[in-house]
Amino acid sequence: MTLAVADLAIAFGGFRAVDGVSLAVPSGGLVGIIGPNGAGKSTLFSLVSGFLAPDSGTVTLDGANITRAPAHERARRGMVRTFQVPREFAHLTVRENLMAAAPGQAGETLRGLFLRPGCVRAEERAVAEAAAETMAFLRLDAVADLPAGRLSGGQRKLLELGRALMARPRLILLDEPFAGVNPVLVEALSGHIRALNARGIGFLIIEHDLPALTRLVSTLHVMDRGRIIASGEPQAVLADARVREAYLGAVG
Amino acid sequence: MEAYLAAIATVALIYVLLSLGLTLHYGLTGLINFGHVGFFCIGAYAAAILSTKTGLPVAAGFVAAAALAGLAAWPIGLVSLRLRDDYFAIVTLGFSETVRLVVTSERWLTNGVQGIPGIPRLFDGLGVGMASAIALLALLLAVNAAAVALFLRLARSPFGRMIEAIRDNEEAVRALGKDPARFKIRVLVIGAAVAGVAGAFYAHYIGYVVPDQFVPLITFYVWMAIIMGGVGRISGAVVGTVLLMLFLEGSRFLRDALPFISAVDMASVRIGAVGLALILFTIYRPQGLMGDYTRR
Repeated sequence: MTLAVADLAIAFGGFRAVDGVSLAVPSGGLVGIIGPNGAGKSTLFSLVSGFLAPDSGTVTLDGANITRAPAHERARRGMVRTFQVPREFAHLTVRENLMAAAPGQAGETLRGLFLRPGCVRAEERAVAEAAAETMAFLRLDAVADLPAGRLSGGQRKLLELGRALMARPRLILLDEPFAGVNPVLVEALSGHIRALNARGIGFLIIEHDLPALTRLVSTLHVMDRGRIIASGEPQAVLADARVREAYLGAVG
Repeated sequence: MEAYLAAIATVALIYVLLSLGLTLHYGLTGLINFGHVGFFCIGAYAAAILSTKTGLPVAAGFVAAAALAGLAAWPIGLVSLRLRDDYFAIVTLGFSETVRLVVTSERWLTNGVQGIPGIPRLFDGLGVGMASAIALLALLLAVNAAAVALFLRLARSPFGRMIEAIRDNEEAVRALGKDPARFKIRVLVIGAAVAGVAGAFYAHYIGYVVPDQFVPLITFYVWMAIIMGGVGRISGAVVGTVLLMLFLEGSRFLRDALPFISAVDMASVRIGAVGLALILFTIYRPQGLMGDYTRR
C-alpha cells in the first residue's frame, strides 16, 4: 500500500501548522518523522488519516485520491492510525478492545445478529482467536480480561498498536509508539514493528526517541514549523546542519 | 388494594420500557438523550389517533406508534453525528418540547390542549374489573420480557461491543474503520420505537391523552430510574424503575404521616423525595443498585 502526500497544508487562524508537506511511504516501507514539539507532526497525521480536512494539498492511497474521504473510510482501505495519547475503550476488557477492532463483522449489523446467529457465532470464535494471537504477540495475555482503563501507560501503547493490527492494516501510522514505554519494552516493540514490516505492512512513525527510530526506519523526515526541512537516510539526515540546529539544538 | 397494586404495576412496566430504551441510548452508547418523552408522546398520540379516528384495529396503533417514534429518531440520529454530549442533550430536550408544542397546536389532528378522550382500554371485553387489569399486566409483562431479551441480545453481541466502544471513544472507533453513525442511528431508532410502544400502552391504559402528560419531567423520571438502577445495565433499568415507582408511590403514604401537608403540596414533596433519593444514591452508591458499566 503506497501513501503519497503532496503539498498538504492547514492553518489554524494565522498559524500554519502544516505548511506544504510532501512525502511518500512506499509499499511495505518504514518511514519516520521527527521534529521538535509543535512542528506539526501530529497535525500531519490527522490530515493524512482524515481527522482534519486540509486547506490544500492531496492525500493519495494506492493512486486513489482520498483527501476528502472520511476517517473510517481511509481505515477501511487499510491505512490505520494510532493516537499519541492512547484512546483505549476504557470500560471494555483488553480482549474486547481487540475484538472490537476486527473489520467487517456480521455481528455488528442487526441483520447479521438476528438473521444469521450461527454465522455470527463462528465469526466471534475466529475474532477471539485473532485477538488471542495479538495478545500473545504483544504479551498482553496476562491482562486479557482487565478493563483497558486499568492498564499502565506502556500497556495502553501496546493495546493501541494491537487494536490497529486487528483492523488488518497494510499501512500503520504510529504516533509516538515509544513515548512512556520502558526501554526494554521499546526494544520489544521495535522488534514487533520489524516483524510486522517483514510481513509487508508499511509504517509511518512519529517518534521523539531518536536512537530507537533511526535504528528502525529506512527513510527519515525532519519537520520544523510545519515544513519538512530534511529527508533521507537516517544517519545522513541527522548529520545535516539544519537538522542539528532545528531539532537537536532545541533538545540539547 | 389489588386494583391499586395492579395500577402501579402497569405504570411501572410502561416505565420499564422507557428505561430500557434510555439504557440503550445513554448507558450503552453514551448518547445523552434528554428528550425521551418525545418518543413516548409520539407513540401515545399515534395510538390515540388511530384508535379513535379510524376503524383500524388496536394492534395497528401499536405498530404505528413504534414506527412513527422510530422514524422521529432518524433525524435525531443524523444530528447526533455532528453534536457531542451536551449539545446533543440540548437538541433532544428541544425535540421533545417541540413534539409537545406540535400536539398542543395542531388541533385538527390532536384536539389541542383538550386532548383526545375515549381511547379504548385494552381487554375491555373482559369487563372493568380485575380480569382486564390482569390481562393487561400479562401482556405488558410479555412485551417487557421480549424487550429485555432483545436488549440483552444487542448488548452481548459484537453490535453491543461496538456501541460501548463508541461510548468510550468515538474517534478511536473511526480510526479503526467503523462508522459510528451507522450504530448511533440504529440505537436511537430502536430505543425510540420501544418508547413509542410504551406510549401506546400508556394511551390505552389512561384512556385519554393531553399534551401536559408529556412534559420533560417524564424524561427525567426515566433518568432517575436508570441512575438508581445502574447506568449501562439492562437489569439496572428494570430494578431502577421499580425503585422509582416505590419512591413515587410510597411518598403518597407520607400524607398519613405528615397530615399538615396539603394535597397540592404533596406532589412537590413526592418529587422532592425522589430528588433526595437521587442525591443519596450519587453520594453513597454512584454505580446504582445493580452496578454500572464502570464496574465490571
